[in-house]
Amino acid sequence: MTSIGTGYDLSNSVFSPDGRNFQVEYAVKAVENGGTAVGIRCKDGVVLAVEKIITSKLLKPGANKRIATVDRHVGIVSAGLVPDGRHFVSRARDEASSWRGVYKGPIPTSALANRLGGYVQAYTLYSSVRPFGTTAIVAGWDSEAELAVDGQVGTGPSSGSGGKVEGAKGGGPGLYMIEPSGLYWVSSTSASASSPIYHPNPTILPGGYYGAATGKGRQAAKAELEKLDLSSGNLSLADGVKEAARIIYVAHEDSKDKEFELEMSWISSVDGPTKGRHEEVPKELREEAEKAAKRALEGEDEEEEEKMEE
Amino acid sequence: MVAPHGVTGMLGEDGIHVDMQHLKSGEVNLGTSIMAINFKDGVILGADSRTTTGAYIANRVTDKLTQVHDTIWCCRSGSAADTQAVADIVSYHLNMYGVTNNEAPSTQVAASLFQELCYENKDALSAGIIIAGYDPRHGGQVYSIPLGGSLHKQSFAIGGSGSTYIYGYTDAHWREQMTEQEGIDFVRSALQEAIKWDGSSGGVIRLVVLTKKGAVRHLYLPDNGYTGPGVTN
Amino acid sequence: MPGFDFSNFNRNSALHARGVPLPKATSTGTTIVGCVYDNGVVIAADTRATSGPIVADKNCEKLHYIAPKIWCAGAGTAADTEFTTALISSNVELHSLSTGRDPRVITCMTMLKQHLFRYQGHIGAYLVVAGVDPTGVGLYTVHAHGSTDKLPYVTMGSGSLAAMSVFESTWQPDLDKQGAITLCAEAIKAGIFNDLGSGSNVDVCVIEKDKPTQLMRNYEKPNERGTKERNYRFPRGTTAWLNQKIISKEDMKKYVTIETLSGDDNLAEKMEVDS
Repeated sequence: MTSIGTGYDLSNSVFSPDGRNFQVEYAVKAVENGGTAVGIRCKDGVVLAVEKIITSKLLKPGANKRIATVDRHVGIVSAGLVPDGRHFVSRARDEASSWRGVYKGPIPTSALANRLGGYVQAYTLYSSVRPFGTTAIVAGWDSEAELAVDGQVGTGPSSGSGGKVEGAKGGGPGLYMIEPSGLYWVSSTSASASSPIYHPNPTILPGGYYGAATGKGRQAAKAELEKLDLSSGNLSLADGVKEAARIIYVAHEDSKDKEFELEMSWISSVDGPTKGRHEEVPKELREEAEKAAKRALEGEDEEEEEKMEE
Repeated sequence: MVAPHGVTGMLGEDGIHVDMQHLKSGEVNLGTSIMAINFKDGVILGADSRTTTGAYIANRVTDKLTQVHDTIWCCRSGSAADTQAVADIVSYHLNMYGVTNNEAPSTQVAASLFQELCYENKDALSAGIIIAGYDPRHGGQVYSIPLGGSLHKQSFAIGGSGSTYIYGYTDAHWREQMTEQEGIDFVRSALQEAIKWDGSSGGVIRLVVLTKKGAVRHLYLPDNGYTGPGVTN
Repeated sequence: MPGFDFSNFNRNSALHARGVPLPKATSTGTTIVGCVYDNGVVIAADTRATSGPIVADKNCEKLHYIAPKIWCAGAGTAADTEFTTALISSNVELHSLSTGRDPRVITCMTMLKQHLFRYQGHIGAYLVVAGVDPTGVGLYTVHAHGSTDKLPYVTMGSGSLAAMSVFESTWQPDLDKQGAITLCAEAIKAGIFNDLGSGSNVDVCVIEKDKPTQLMRNYEKPNERGTKERNYRFPRGTTAWLNQKIISKEDMKKYVTIETLSGDDNLAEKMEVDS
């Protein structure tokens, strides 16, 4: 490592002469050692999955969850230092709660990603702190239903509010990834403060990523995600769950010597299986997806064997 | 509400407690008739134009319909100073919301902000506010925040001292899914009635019609029995 | 709890309700007005300052400078109008310096209303804010509690009713400069003659686009002390006397010592007293 011994890597908030912040780069190394985590944005929901490496036989299977619920409609998974990930989640819950305190409703996933990005970035600025050793994937579903103001009395006219524009829906899936530098991507919505234009198809509107991957097996995972053609917005949530499981299994191929547990969560649209909530994928569904994932991997091996035979 | 000019220190019925709710001497009061309704294509806000200090009309052409964002407006009643200050603060926050979230705030957001201010400062404020807003996704919405700071989503809302006289009228005549012209006529005739019976209401009738086409102002003068001129922008 | 302590307010209100009179704050009974015209805006004020029933100043100034092209007429508690306008004038100038732009009337009005609202009416300043800025002509009233109004013609103070009656009966759209000045002066005179709290002279300030502001101090003096019709001096000899006795200086010396002083300034020091 070229940075060692130069002195430019000793303190946070110090640039090297060629414009790098080594403390942040070291934090990225911590992430690269963590178990693979992926997120897939589907047309009717979002899936999160993480490869949880079993570090000890004494740990209770199924306990020690790595995917956290931040608000009813938002989940976060992170790769890297687990305690840093927990603090990050704690902050996310505070942000979501403070939003509810002011606006009396759920925080849009993009706004949460924005606030968390700002929070993580601040940890690259001061010598008294170190950057987060985590990359977090934030997944959410902004309700497409009409939202009430928390605590309001009454519901307005029974025939509904007048003047709604046909097809002018809001909400939809959101998937964001926040890196140790504070970097995150949010696609600019076509709506602006001065001229709100509502996109007829919300499933291709908000959100930063179609698919996100981080941790040790991210390269393999990204390669698999790219094959899914997520930008067309055709993948269903049910298929997304299967793909997520398969991708984690594919990403695990390079570290086969270690045992792992698959943890998965999902958020569907309001009329889907989770009714807009962030929940753990049901055991049966997960096991089915895992079975399919294992079959797919074996199938790959068979294909290779067949080729060998030729 | 009309406080006797220059009189302070009114004791409550128990003869011990002082009514802190009353307006301070010389405070400007919007003894008012305001309302907002839902109709087929959006919402309509309406108000009289009288502002009083005691028995004196400090402004006979007041604009009580205040814009806090592109298509979110409010009707103000109570203390002029308090409601102007609250509307200014909400307007600031909504504009900040618009730029930080790159998305126009919804009427719900505006209603939340108004409620937060009115409830948390209920001891210091005398403000009765009706919020009405339009956006393509939710359509037109009407919220009312009376004195204590509670929030009510309503089909239509009336407020101010003059509203007491038109509870019956509005209840009997309001219908769901009125056309724009029906809505305008309803609001105008209801306010005309409120002005007729309430001494603290008067002057002109101002309306704002909020639809997908944006905000359109209307003005109706007493000179011709509140029949015109109509649209002013 | 930081901030004002209002606990005595309840006590005073209760005492007052039981008949104890509250002390009166010194305030200027006043007439102030403002009126826009095609190319600018005019504000005017009377010049009487009172403390209780006493006229404290027969020719005070109630038109306050905010910025070269923004002026303010003040009614209410004299000290409050004076200090509030001075404070806002200072802040407006700093704001203008930091933005590099001419100050705007609405900026000034907003600063005033936010300042006054914060003090919940305890700063007794009732103001007419007028001026010309890059956006055009501006005329506002600001009440002590922080409410504002925007109108083509405005009046404030104890004489506002008298002054408003003039505006309401004779104002017309499309006034020219002289028309606006005359109308404002007439409105102030209505206050001077019909309101006990207002009196003396008329001050006028004209703020016009692309012209320097004109402050016309004592534009009208409708209360000049005229020469008395008759002379009330008594001629010598009006009082009759019965006898006359003249005591000469020499006679006085029999009873007291008399020293004659020269015009020398240092004489007092030369005299030795209590030595």
